[in-house]
Amino acid sequence: MSTMTVNGHPAPLPDDREALLVDVIRDRLGLTGTKLVCGAGVCGACTVLVDGAPVVSCMMPALAAAGKSVTTVEGIGAEKLHPVQKAFMAHDALQCGFCTPGFIVGAAAFHDDWRATRGTAIPSREEIGAALSGHLCRCGAYDGIFRAVADACSGRFDGDSFTSPRIEARDKVTGLAKFTVDIRHDGQLEGVILRSEAAHARIVEIDLAAARAMPDVAAAISLLGDDRIVRYVGEPIAGVAAKDRNTAIAAIAAIKITSEALPSVIGLDAARKGDAPAVFDRSNRKKAGNVSEGAGGPAPWKGNLRGPSSVFSQKAKRARSFVDAARQGRDPLLVEATFRTGTQQHACLEPHATVAHFDGDRLTLHVSTQSVFELMEKIAKRYKLGHDKVRVIANHVGGGFGSKGSVGMETIAAVELARAAKAPVGIAYDRHEELSVTGYRPAAELKIALLPSTQGELEALSLTAHADTGAAVNSVIAGLARLIYPARAKALSDYDVISNLPPGCAFRAPGGPPMAFALEQAIDEASLRMQTDPILLRKRWDPNPNRQRLYDWASGTELWRNRKTPETQTGRYRRGVGVAAGYWLYLWQPGSKVELMVKGGRLIVSAAIQDIGTGSRSVIANAVAQEFGLEPHDIDVRIGDSNLPEGPPSTGSRTTASVIPPTLLAVQKLKTAIIANAKQPPTPGSNAPWRELIAASPDLAASAVRPEDEKPKPPGIRSALKEAGFMGTIFGWVMRRTANIVVGAGVPSSVQVIEVEVDTWLGRVRVLNVATGIAVGKIAAPALARSQAAGAVIQGIGYALYETREVDPATGDILTGGMEDYRIPGIADTPVIDVHFDEGGFDHVLGGSVGIGEVSTVPTSPAIANAVCNAIGIRLTEIPIRPDRLLAALKGRAAA
Amino acid sequence: MSSAAMTTAAPEFRAAGTELSERRRNGVSRGPLIDIGSAADAGIAWSADGAATIGALTTIATIVNDARIVEAYPGIAAAAQGVATPQVRHLATLGGNLAQRSRCWYFRNPHIDCLKKGGADCPARNGNHLYSVAFDLGPCVAPHPSTMAAALSAYEATITTDRRSGLSIADLLGDGSNAAADHALASGEMIRKIVLQIPLAGERALYKRAISRSYAEWPLVEVCARAVVANGTFQFVRIAAGGIAPVPLRLSTSEAALKDKPANAATIAEAARQASAGAKPLPMTGYKLDLLSGLVRDVMEQLAAA
Repeated sequence: MSTMTVNGHPAPLPDDREALLVDVIRDRLGLTGTKLVCGAGVCGACTVLVDGAPVVSCMMPALAAAGKSVTTVEGIGAEKLHPVQKAFMAHDALQCGFCTPGFIVGAAAFHDDWRATRGTAIPSREEIGAALSGHLCRCGAYDGIFRAVADACSGRFDGDSFTSPRIEARDKVTGLAKFTVDIRHDGQLEGVILRSEAAHARIVEIDLAAARAMPDVAAAISLLGDDRIVRYVGEPIAGVAAKDRNTAIAAIAAIKITSEALPSVIGLDAARKGDAPAVFDRSNRKKAGNVSEGAGGPAPWKGNLRGPSSVFSQKAKRARSFVDAARQGRDPLLVEATFRTGTQQHACLEPHATVAHFDGDRLTLHVSTQSVFELMEKIAKRYKLGHDKVRVIANHVGGGFGSKGSVGMETIAAVELARAAKAPVGIAYDRHEELSVTGYRPAAELKIALLPSTQGELEALSLTAHADTGAAVNSVIAGLARLIYPARAKALSDYDVISNLPPGCAFRAPGGPPMAFALEQAIDEASLRMQTDPILLRKRWDPNPNRQRLYDWASGTELWRNRKTPETQTGRYRRGVGVAAGYWLYLWQPGSKVELMVKGGRLIVSAAIQDIGTGSRSVIANAVAQEFGLEPHDIDVRIGDSNLPEGPPSTGSRTTASVIPPTLLAVQKLKTAIIANAKQPPTPGSNAPWRELIAASPDLAASAVRPEDEKPKPPGIRSALKEAGFMGTIFGWVMRRTANIVVGAGVPSSVQVIEVEVDTWLGRVRVLNVATGIAVGKIAAPALARSQAAGAVIQGIGYALYETREVDPATGDILTGGMEDYRIPGIADTPVIDVHFDEGGFDHVLGGSVGIGEVSTVPTSPAIANAVCNAIGIRLTEIPIRPDRLLAALKGRAAA
Repeated sequence: MSSAAMTTAAPEFRAAGTELSERRRNGVSRGPLIDIGSAADAGIAWSADGAATIGALTTIATIVNDARIVEAYPGIAAAAQGVATPQVRHLATLGGNLAQRSRCWYFRNPHIDCLKKGGADCPARNGNHLYSVAFDLGPCVAPHPSTMAAALSAYEATITTDRRSGLSIADLLGDGSNAAADHALASGEMIRKIVLQIPLAGERALYKRAISRSYAEWPLVEVCARAVVANGTFQFVRIAAGGIAPVPLRLSTSEAALKDKPANAATIAEAARQASAGAKPLPMTGYKLDLLSGLVRDVMEQLAAA
């Protein structure tokens, strides 16, 4: 048997020639800091050093490491933290933390090499970008990573004096943070799912006998629905639990399926044709997935077309007649266009994963989820178990972005396999599964007509959206255009176009970015025709007080003031600056509860929330620390466990606004109790009276539930739904009754100014500078909010320029099932990002803070498209703005 | 989850493993592995007159970082720098880069049959072929994946195998008409080394790829060009392109349009236009010809100006 050295210790290598280094490191040595993500050398999450050089351990045969020295993230800071680790912590160069170990290894190698040859010179962004081009971060922590690597190289983090704004950062930079995929119970089996290779079929028979009879296979079960129909490639058919993954894969290959092919239809255009076969018939429409987070409006459903859903229209007939008249009268101000957006995958780096473990009738689930508490409730209901019998744990979650908000098949299959096998079962999707069947932001076709009046007001808006929802419904894109830019009349219609593709699902501000992509470009076009400054036009048409302040800020940015016109530019490279606005709803969840304790002289705050990289741990720690005059690290935060007091899911940007108010109430109660129980008052003149009191306090606890907001005092602060009049009131009522969500007063808003450079020869758009202004009230955790704001822009850049899921039009199989084909932004694609927080507008919320996650990504894609238009004088109507599209647009102009 | 009929069971050599490991993991490759071990050469040897011979097992990172290669063969060093990511370049070998299999997303999907997997037709041709060829030379429409092959083609390098020597890149990879294979080596034949010629006096070279992001993306189109410019004219020009055909293409029409012509913008623009001579784009790949022309113009202008 050959050996390697791992972090200074000899480690045996298996004789298996197929074994890859990453699997040996993770599975045999238990060093789970090294992550397996893409399995294709693209993302770098598995990076380790082999004889000092960073390599992708997912591609390196383990035996090739024989006689070599391997350093994993656990070995980087084994004795004391590496300067790069300290810099990542101090600059908050991470969010969910799943890519972080790989980045740390790569950045440490770069740092050590740089320091050896260049001393404390500071590397440029270009040098850092090139060195770390083999790492991907889906949260978009690149802005912090640039700063961290540069500062570490400068020697600033050679010492030990630094603070970290994210309280769990140390566990994430050292690889100690355990994600669901890192959980290993004794005797844990690996589950694998057999998936449909057909886009539409009836499964007549499943024969599991051969699979069950294989050695080391513990369970094989059917996962089919009661109608036994599969409606997309990848729909689950059966699951197997076995001793290891290879055995499970061999077992699912042994399952015999007899099926009857059904006619299928793939995608937005084909599914709309009259003769397209229907994906759902009347009896099984409930099986369709949901692409929104809340309930949708009522809509007719005929064949594969569900819609129009148009409850947010306002005098729709009048809007259409205004537009028709303007078209007939050749009104030069009438803006009409059809926009198309691509399918965006969440592409979480931690795949959907669950480990299910029964202890008698008690079920413990480790799940990579956005919703520990709600998931516990749903699982308890599904399997008819008491709430006290089900526990859902998610200490760290490697990204979610909306895709991990409901009960996934990975959880159902793990539970059912664990029950059948009478052993713990873990299921972690492989990358192809993650990029094909875990949901997506549906592509959309958006027909817009925007009509300014001769007086320069907004007269009418018409927007019809057809969303490519796959086996799902409930897309709301056009409807969102009601809640911004009041007009005399609006005709807003949403359609779901259902086809034999995996179901779409909620994705960060569902419906928001595609709506903004169409509307904000139409506004931009109107400003060109009206020869008005685009920001001033928005200021005129959009009375929202939060955005009014952001427009003033945007007008004053250097980027905006230096904006040129397309006519002034010639030559290969052209620069342009664009602006766009966006909003999201302010949501909070009634019943959200926080418990605060003094125990053993320390403060402990608990809530059944989860941190998917958004920073909820730190938000809650900061709130408590601030009230007691302590440091966030003085607070023990317990989250990520459904046994804790009820908390909201990490969806709808609702966490901050749901948990800070009860936290503050609990603080008041606990303070009262501490004083009442204090044996002696704090030292007179003490600068840390609460520290003394807490240290001396007996164990005490206080808890509080999210209170209702006060009535806002300044004028104009109202719920976004008020823009939709009576229907908005009804919608708000339905949301509260059916989804336990309140749409509060005040509108989280963002205005972004973006500069791009267009290479007219090679069709490439580079985003150079971004100024993102955000109004979400008081910022609860400034460094982390900045990380989220920058990450949201980076995801928006991906949406605008690179990302799109491609499917085979014939079979419906996913072609972009790997990270090389599903293209997310890398560090070198990151512009300079200036984040501006306008902290007003939410004083009626206890604590003054609402969520930032969604609103911050809404305006990015239209701002980029508007900037491209400003650069080349051509409006790109389809995203992603790939080289093929840009070159075609440029050629179109030359031909015309 | 692979269905046996749709995957390849032929024996495969393994050097560093890289892209082969990915195909093993997803089930596209399932034949016996033959580890090369030390059967090929690693490292760079120089002849007395200054020509390099690069062992097939030399890593891409070694080529990127070798000062003498950077000096003598800048187009090769720059191409190597463009390959994959730093962490892949530390593993991947030059021989492996030449012999790697296609990046076509149909080929790499274990559930979809294709010509490279013994199937009857090419699903990309009538399917989604956004990244496929613009010079349709054979039944399979996947472009050849090897960046190093494109660069070596511009350098007119020769390949030595365990059986033959003096193979040109065209000999090594074929003419693109064999859909089943990504190279034209005999079964069991192994690349041992890559032999370069002595650089010409005063030659300059560049490599550039067109991609949508900054790094780490397979080229939509890539170009490696060498030129000797003297007295304001192109004395010598070699241009090779990748990403556009089942094999790397020498752009001989463009070369002819530049040879002995003034090294100015007008000549270069004309040569860039002619880069598409003989092209046969698919419905979705016409843009690659614009990129090809843009790249030729870009690199030749830089070479003329240097």
